Amino acid sequence: MSGTTDADVLLRVRQVEQFYDRRIRILGPVDLDVRDGEFLSLVGPSGCGKSTLLRIVAGLLEPTAGRIDVGGVALAGVNRQAAMVFQSFALFPWMSVVENVALGLEARGMAPLERLKRAEKYIDLVGLSGYERAFPKELSRGMKQLVGLARALALEPELLCMDEPFSALDVLTARAMRDLVLDLWKSPEVKTKSILLVTHSIEEAVALSDRVVVLRANPGRIAEVVDLADLPRPRRPGAAAVSEVVDRMYGLLA
Amino acid sequence: MAALAGLTALAFFASASLRPHDAPALELRPALLPAYLALSLLRLAAAYALALLAALAIGHAAARSVAARRVILPVLDVLQSVPILGFFPVAVAFFIRVTAGSALGVEAAAVFLIFTCMFWNLAFGVYESLATLPEDIALAARQLGLRGASRWSRLVLPAVFPNLVYNSLLSWANGFYFLIASEIIAVGPARYTLPGLGSYLAQSVVAGRYEQTAAALLCLVAVTAAMHLLVWGPLETYAERFHFDESGDRPQVPRVARVLMRSRLVRALIGRVVVPGSEAAFRFAGRALDAVASRRALQAVLVLPLVALGVLAARHAWRTFAEAPLSPALAGLPVDLVLSLLRVGFGVGASALLAVPLAALVASRPAWRGPSLAVIQIAASVPAAAFFPLIVALVARGLGLEGAALLLSLTTMFWYVLFNVMGAAAAIPREMNEAARSLGLSRLGRLRHVFLPAVLPGLVTGCLTAWGAGWNAMILCEYLVVDGRTYAVRGIGAALDRATYETADPQVIAASLALMIAMIVGVNRAFWAPLYQRVTTRYKLDA
Ligand SMILES: Nc1ncnc2c1ncn2[C@@H]1O[C@H](COP(=O)(O)OP(=O)(O)OP(=O)(O)O)[C@@H](O)[C@H]1O
Ligand SMILES: [Mg+2]
Repeated sequence: MSGTTDADVLLRVRQVEQFYDRRIRILGPVDLDVRDGEFLSLVGPSGCGKSTLLRIVAGLLEPTAGRIDVGGVALAGVNRQAAMVFQSFALFPWMSVVENVALGLEARGMAPLERLKRAEKYIDLVGLSGYERAFPKELSRGMKQLVGLARALALEPELLCMDEPFSALDVLTARAMRDLVLDLWKSPEVKTKSILLVTHSIEEAVALSDRVVVLRANPGRIAEVVDLADLPRPRRPGAAAVSEVVDRMYGLLA
Repeated sequence: MAALAGLTALAFFASASLRPHDAPALELRPALLPAYLALSLLRLAAAYALALLAALAIGHAAARSVAARRVILPVLDVLQSVPILGFFPVAVAFFIRVTAGSALGVEAAAVFLIFTCMFWNLAFGVYESLATLPEDIALAARQLGLRGASRWSRLVLPAVFPNLVYNSLLSWANGFYFLIASEIIAVGPARYTLPGLGSYLAQSVVAGRYEQTAAALLCLVAVTAAMHLLVWGPLETYAERFHFDESGDRPQVPRVARVLMRSRLVRALIGRVVVPGSEAAFRFAGRALDAVASRRALQAVLVLPLVALGVLAARHAWRTFAEAPLSPALAGLPVDLVLSLLRVGFGVGASALLAVPLAALVASRPAWRGPSLAVIQIAASVPAAAFFPLIVALVARGLGLEGAALLLSLTTMFWYVLFNVMGAAAAIPREMNEAARSLGLSRLGRLRHVFLPAVLPGLVTGCLTAWGAGWNAMILCEYLVVDGRTYAVRGIGAALDRATYETADPQVIAASLALMIAMIVGVNRAFWAPLYQRVTTRYKLDA
């Protein structure tokens, strides 16, 4: 991890701690760099503070101590460089698909025509064209999460934050969505540079990530950072090299 | 609590100094009914607009900040347990004194009175639906950068909309119910009558001209029915798009207007006019609310006068008791309180015993549900005074005064229980009934093991509401004036009425109000709150 220069780093987490009720430490201190262009995953046992750390990075939760640097500037308030995909989708049920996707753009003051065009582009990219006028209730869970993804991508964030985005989906849908996320991330159409993924599935983390941060609980601390840059892609589940890494990581968490 | 006692106390100082005033009698020609109706509707609409704005501002503030919540929730909780009719002398005296008895002051008093019957449930509704907003939705709104006006129009208003529609309906029913008390304003020697449907109803009863009472009642029922068909039904249907997926036990409202929606003309109207219009309305309301309700200064403006009023009134309350000899009527109040407590208790029990079988009957015939709910809501907004002639006729046939008071108070309390039990019954999942049937449970077994446990939370909510309403009913029912004669039984409500209308005794007004409030708040804390807690955790349908 030495040898990373400032230019390679998208976001720094420095000595971040989170307390509950001022007394109970649930997280930290944590130091972590999110590098430009990487796919970074957070894994760890339930309750170890993965979601908490992700929310702090997205600027949705202010850490009790420590700071987040984005491009050398300390983060205050919502991180405008980041966008978030939620486990529960968090779609606004009273808005159509296109309204949901365009909402963040509207809030940023983009002109109506322009944001419509932008929203339609990303709805198309996630493969939902034709459903622009549908309401979330009318969609399957997988489609809902696609809308959640399009809504986040439409903000054209440098960093895409995802909190267990696939765990509410069935296995096949989840796998298709993982592939889609990788494709979109690689595609020149999508501006997002780095992805920060929270997951409880080691297989998922190994299949997707350049690096995996393993957290342990009480309080949440970084136990180990596993570099998978050398593991060739695509990583088929069951392939010998992949299984070997997965087994090693189970060992770390046990 | 102190501010409250003070507030009530303001009345007697003021009432004592109100100059005698006699209202000219209302002209009772039925041809004037539409005009009276229009005036009443205007008053209701003005009060409702104020209540809605205040409820949104205050409910939102309570949901948003912990500090605000600590102040607002207890204050609302105590204030809403003040019998609405107990507010009346206070408010009337205040407004009439401030405006020196001008017509505008009397109007303002009436609007304020109606406001007090509409506001509480709206404010709690706003708070509840914002407090139970799914956490991820709130986070997503922040992440996407919703702020100010767009946060109001895109997040807050849609999130509270279904609850607001449901509670608005209740507020209007309440407003109609208390129309009589709001339009005939009497404190001690001062009497003011505002032209309106409520005063028309009341005067026709007092004068014993029952055919005019009937005409006014018909008017009332027609308006309520029309509002269901043209306002609440469509709004309820429209509100469906604002529900979250994970719907719990939502309050159920009749969908009479569904029929209307089948017409092509109505649908086209909705697509072309209503939807774009409502979107514009949401945007506009969002901007307005951001300008008004989000401002700290304005929230302070809402709270400060209350505090000032409280302090001022407390001083006068102290004087009322300290500087005058104690009124001999005070000694009887504890017994009055117990007698009224027995009546309210009887009313709650009888309402529950009547409502559960009736709700079970309706639940077994789904086709009846829609129409019967509409009928209930219309019936619930018929003011008790409309039943006076009937009750008097029954008294003449040997029903004792006590029986009359009990029967009359039931007409107030019963609906709350029935409405809530029916709502809970409608929320029973179909699978549960089917499972019970496939397990071979008999009719009685299904009633015992499915229906009763499932409606228990609704029954408790209904009884709690009826308990609150029951004390209002005591003020109405223990002391009646019909056709020139006074019918009274002994009770705290009668004591309050006598002190307000006959003796203008500020000490008795203050003491009886304080006793009633202490009783209501005490029983709420010690009995209803724990019961509700137990029943909802144990019998909640979605685990
Ligand atoms: N509002 C809160 N009050 C009390 N404790 C909290 C609160 N929010 C989070 N916690 C605690 O903080 C810890 C971390 O929570 P967090 O949701 O970040 O964990 P997680 O790793 O995402 O867990 P999971 O895998 O179950 O999603 C947990 O132990 C949780 O109990
Ligand atoms: Mg989590």
